[in-house]
Amino acid sequence: MAEFTTEDALRSRWSAAARPRAVRWFSGLGVVFVLGAAALGLLATRLTGMSYAVALAVAVVLLLTGGSCLGAAVVVQYPRAVGRLLQRLGLPLFLLAVAAIIVVAWAPVLLWPDKPLIVRDVLAVVGAVGFVSLFASFAIWWERKVAGRIQSRLGPMRVGGWHGWAQSIADGLKLFQKEDILPGGGDAVLFRMAAYVTFVPALSLFIALPFSAAWVGRDLDVGLLLIVALFGLGVIGVLLGGWASNNKWSMYGAMREACQVISYEIPLGFSLLIPIMVAGTLRLTTIGELQAGGFWTWLAFRNPFTLIAALTFLIATLASCKRAPFDLPEAESELVAGYMTEYSGFRWALFMFAEYAEMFAAGALTAILFFGAWHSPLPAAWGAAWATGPLWQQALHGVVFSGPLWLIFKGIFFVYVQIWLRWTLPRIRLDQVMHACVQFMLPVTMVVLLAQTFWQLLVPAGSVLAVALNLACTVLGALVALGIASIAVYGLRYRRRLVGTLVVDHLPGS
Amino acid sequence: MPDAPLTNSPDSLADVERVVPGELRTEEMLLNMGPQHPSTHGVLRLVLRTDGELVLEAVPHIGYLHRCAEKIGESVASFQFIPITDRLDYLAAMINNQGFSLAVEKLAGLEVPERARYIRVIMAELNRIASHLVSFGTYGLDMGAFTPFLYGFREREYILDLFEAACGARLTYSFITPGGVTQDLPDGFLDNLARFLDYFEPKIDEYNDLLSFNYIFIKRTAGVGVISPEDAIAYGLTGPCLRGSGVKWDLRRCMPYELYDRFDFEIPVGVAGGTDRIPREVVAGDSWSRYFVRMQEMKQSVRILRQCVQQLPAGEFRNKPKGILKLPPKEVYLEVEGARGQLGFLVVGDGKAVPRRVKIRGPSFCNLAITKHVCRQVLLADIAAILGSIDVVMGEVDR
Amino acid sequence: MGWLHNRFEENFIITSVDWALNWARSSSIWPLTFGLACCAIEMMAAGASRFDLDRFGAGAFRATPRQSDLMIVAGTVTFKMASRIRRLYHQMPEPKYVMAMGACTVGGGPYVKYGYHVVKGVDLVVPVDVYIPGCPPRPESLIEGLMRLQDKMKQQTIARRPQQA
Repeated sequence: MAEFTTEDALRSRWSAAARPRAVRWFSGLGVVFVLGAAALGLLATRLTGMSYAVALAVAVVLLLTGGSCLGAAVVVQYPRAVGRLLQRLGLPLFLLAVAAIIVVAWAPVLLWPDKPLIVRDVLAVVGAVGFVSLFASFAIWWERKVAGRIQSRLGPMRVGGWHGWAQSIADGLKLFQKEDILPGGGDAVLFRMAAYVTFVPALSLFIALPFSAAWVGRDLDVGLLLIVALFGLGVIGVLLGGWASNNKWSMYGAMREACQVISYEIPLGFSLLIPIMVAGTLRLTTIGELQAGGFWTWLAFRNPFTLIAALTFLIATLASCKRAPFDLPEAESELVAGYMTEYSGFRWALFMFAEYAEMFAAGALTAILFFGAWHSPLPAAWGAAWATGPLWQQALHGVVFSGPLWLIFKGIFFVYVQIWLRWTLPRIRLDQVMHACVQFMLPVTMVVLLAQTFWQLLVPAGSVLAVALNLACTVLGALVALGIASIAVYGLRYRRRLVGTLVVDHLPGS
Repeated sequence: MPDAPLTNSPDSLADVERVVPGELRTEEMLLNMGPQHPSTHGVLRLVLRTDGELVLEAVPHIGYLHRCAEKIGESVASFQFIPITDRLDYLAAMINNQGFSLAVEKLAGLEVPERARYIRVIMAELNRIASHLVSFGTYGLDMGAFTPFLYGFREREYILDLFEAACGARLTYSFITPGGVTQDLPDGFLDNLARFLDYFEPKIDEYNDLLSFNYIFIKRTAGVGVISPEDAIAYGLTGPCLRGSGVKWDLRRCMPYELYDRFDFEIPVGVAGGTDRIPREVVAGDSWSRYFVRMQEMKQSVRILRQCVQQLPAGEFRNKPKGILKLPPKEVYLEVEGARGQLGFLVVGDGKAVPRRVKIRGPSFCNLAITKHVCRQVLLADIAAILGSIDVVMGEVDR
Repeated sequence: MGWLHNRFEENFIITSVDWALNWARSSSIWPLTFGLACCAIEMMAAGASRFDLDRFGAGAFRATPRQSDLMIVAGTVTFKMASRIRRLYHQMPEPKYVMAMGACTVGGGPYVKYGYHVVKGVDLVVPVDVYIPGCPPRPESLIEGLMRLQDKMKQQTIARRPQQA
């Protein structure tokens, strides 16, 4: 029962006679290319303008090719050692590659400040697509791990080594190999289009979603409107998919989904109006910068109405993303797979990508609008000196006070809350979903909107009442956060005792 | 298939009132649910006539797992038929074995030692708990709560460890045979059993908090698929389905077999909501009551098991007949309380080792008959709720 | 990958691509929820917490044949059910695999002699890749069957095989 390892993959395909020749050729070519790259680089320093850029680019290409040839030579000569090394370094190498891609993508941003807008747009699109792909892969793996832990088991463990980190990559590559089935009798054009119509808006909203005051694709002054509109566009894709599948179950799923998402856009919109009123603008970077003064300035904690608005927004985004408990459109036990029943292979992967992209966008939007955007709980003013210092100080400022990493962390936290709810709660029936929307969420959001309007009109900003309620909500929020953290720590410390004696005795090593 | 009429039965609903009165004509859809479907607990096919989300009629089609058990009963000797009885209600195989063994013993006049009877009761009640854990888990799965399924299976693994220690098998045991049981309990079995009971009893409360009293779950299942006690008796429902409607009928108490009259336990029935932690929305005979009866039955089984552990005597574990057991030319019909209802065996002997006829009354077969009656004017999502609460196992239905 | 199959002879690039594609396919086997009878319970136990198929990447049971790679036929196949099994098999996209779990699907099981309604082995209905004997097979057996299937997947290649003389 031999395990197929990286060593086996890298075992030499050349016969013993051919191997030295291969090594000679590879190393020779590699040396030639590297020397050529060095020469071109030296030549490039004497040129200016366009020819400088071209020469530099060609030099980089030659360097990479030469490096690959030398690498190939090493692999052919020492396959077992390289195989063992790769097995152990798989995950760190992957993370390094991700970091390198990020650096390469952002290097032009830093080194080329006055680039034309088209270059900036291309970079934004590439960055958005790259981030979404990376995040979706991470989120799929993470969901399976979190689900496993909630369900008293481990998730993926084997694929790639450490806790199955390469599971999403394997899933993606496998889906890529699947046969492309179009249901007979279904509308072929609409069937294909449905996946794209769902996928493209989910990606596009990352153009307007700011990761930081400076890290935004297009800082639109109607950014929030665009994002909410693109959120809603996904419904069309789902309806198309359900219809074009020529399958009654898909129709049911599509109908339910349309019903649910469109209805919940109303409480979503009403909840959104609160931050817009507080900030006075639809520009997301402005709304974010409003919350730069520490976590007591976060919009959720300003007064009880914004707190309720934050909660209703969270629930409405759950319904919008079709996540449990609102996952009726994908209800496995009733509708097989809902509107996605007839989709196979990569088309289905597009739907999944869109769903995870929307989940992160919803989480990030919640963070931007209510929970401090890209700022840490500390006030940004305390680190103002670092913000304009040298590069390493700026990086430190980004990590400690305010930077895109904080927004990503908050987005991932809300995604975690969504995953947590999915694996805990049962599914709500469609008429109950509608009932909750129309008879509960809508009145609540309307009342909150009205109350916030009067609050802003009648209560001055620095008055005792405002400050007192701000403090009260802040304390409440801090208590909740501390509560979650302490429960997590308690669970981690006493995890063996909590599961019970029989389980502990069956754990490996006991 | 799309044009086949559903109006063969006298119970046809061709004259059912439409939801939207007046001139608005809505179109009906004929939907096929199964036989491969995550929520039908096996190979059951339901043909639904729906008007949008509303189901007007649901007709079950069975027979996809007909494995000719009764024919095999006429072809092999009684002790050779025991493995086939395992596979009827494969979630509670010990009880099937017990039913058939009791029928054969009654027919052949075979005495069973006391210790063997106690061991049988231990195995039957453990299997009842295991079966109810699966039903609890799959019902949660149908309702969209994925996690209780895994918790149920986790507890089940400990029960299966006990079974494996006793007889070597995890699912289909063939442990209880005419005359007793095939092997004695191994050393340490009773200690492990006591440890398991101490671990498991608080878990039932935990699962009640997790699922039974969860607001969303209550909204999905309370008041859905109400079966009145008269209907339940008329349609021949037994087991938790009958008790969920409020009828206090359990063979272990009402027609005791095999030492059940020595134990002190209660028969949980479904009651209307409002009292004693039962949620307000619950009506006696709805899906929640049927489900909750199973949760409470697990507690009662734990109670019986504790008493068994205390009372278990020493002695023989089997009264093995000399040679092959020949069945006298009489007939016996005997019912036991299976996990899903009353499981009956009719054994007709004719002087040989091979019976002349074996007829099995599968409780799920009779319980399934109410589907058409109760699945009218319900929403599509409620079909899963109702079917999950009736809890059919197709091995019993199709035999 | 139809456009890539049988086009190139075996070489370093093709075998590396093979390795990557086979690794992906074997690390991400999605079974179809197709439990028929008692073996289904052991399949569910194999996916549950103690044995946990998800560790192998095979824990994402899909309800629709369109999104699954592996059909684990768990339980007795009867004549009435056989046509549905074949229909489901045809609905699965390539590359697809079938695992015959349990004695009933391997060759009829306990019903082989007197079962007039039982198909004596599911390979009379669909082509089977891996057979798992047992009645029912333990979850460990199912996992071993899965690992044998992974080995089988790792033997596959997109290279053009040399022509036989």
